[in-house]
Amino acid sequence: MIPVRCFTCGAVIGDKYRKFREYVEGGMDPKEALDKIGLERYCCRRMILSHVEIIDKFLIYRRLGTGGRD
Amino acid sequence: MTKKSTSKKSTRSFKIEFIEESDNRIMVLLRNIPVTMANSIRRVIISHVPTLAIERVFIFRNDSLMNDDMLAHRLGLIPLTTPLGKYALPEEAPDEEGSKPEYAELTLTIEAKDKPITVLSSDIKSKDPDVKPVSGDIEIVRLAPGQGIEAEMWAYMGRGKDHAKWSPVSVSVVRGLPVIRIKKTGCNKKCKKCVEACPKGVLAVKKGQLIVKDLYKCTTCGLCMEACPDIIKVSIDETSSILYLESIGQLRPIEILSLAFDEVIKKLDDFYSSLNEVSLENV
Ligand code: SF4
Ligand code: SF4
Ligand SMILES: [Zn+2]
Repeated sequence: MIPVRCFTCGAVIGDKYRKFREYVEGGMDPKEALDKIGLERYCCRRMILSHVEIIDKFLIYRRLGTGGRD
Repeated sequence: MTKKSTSKKSTRSFKIEFIEESDNRIMVLLRNIPVTMANSIRRVIISHVPTLAIERVFIFRNDSLMNDDMLAHRLGLIPLTTPLGKYALPEEAPDEEGSKPEYAELTLTIEAKDKPITVLSSDIKSKDPDVKPVSGDIEIVRLAPGQGIEAEMWAYMGRGKDHAKWSPVSVSVVRGLPVIRIKKTGCNKKCKKCVEACPKGVLAVKKGQLIVKDLYKCTTCGLCMEACPDIIKVSIDETSSILYLESIGQLRPIEILSLAFDEVIKKLDDFYSSLNEVSLENV
């Protein structure tokens, strides 16, 4: 999951990753996409740019002792 | 008092000028205030202006891949709109009759039915309409079909010095006011070396005149001075400071600023009264 806040400055970035992905998957240049979602500082930009979303890969498993279907 | 003396006094006294203001940011010019004092305001903004944040989380069900602690941590980082004066500050006695409530209650109950979902901050329900996540799109966790989360959250007032989640700003900077002096004679206004040297686009040639277009963008890096040392001199006005802050959204920038002044005054009062106690003891 994308972190809720930027590690360095504390600005909220957790609501921007999805939009960023949509833009980039639509063929937009990552630089433009970052500008468009309104991240100015490079601390926040690297949060989004360097993020690797892996939670969907784990979603097929479930934690021991918890609910949910196999 | 003569007119002259009043005008002289007003140039010396403390003054605030607004340079830039929008929903989430503010830039002000503090005139005639020592840098140390401006800096104490900057620090108080970061670590002493109180806001609401989720501090206690009761998890009744969590089937997600995320551990309870991790989930609670993420919930805590979600900024909440803060109604000023409605909830008790950490130092206020909570159990007095008719006192302000100590915390705001929020709940999160969600289950993924037949396809995976992303839990968003807009799924959090608040009992108080004044307290809600600043942004509804913050991703909290992903849930596979059949997984669910049930949690109750208590949001307390707190300060950035205890945890950064209570800090109302992402950026809070103080810097000196740049002074760019351009000699009237000697500049040919054509070579534009200085204009090209400036990385911030502060200088411009307009109507055959070299002008300072946007003084507040200047970082006093001195590159223009290097390009043309005979004509341009860049220095810092030590008596004025530029304070720039960017709100995360719990409070409006102007509220943050005025609360910061209140907090500084409160601290000075505390200091003064404890000083009095000490000096009385020593008599
Ligand atoms: S200040 Fe110097 S570099 Fe700039 S236009 Fe004049 S002569 Fe050229
Ligand atoms: S000091 Fe730097 S930022 Fe300021 S005008 Fe000169 S080159 Fe531009
Ligand atoms: Zn940042």
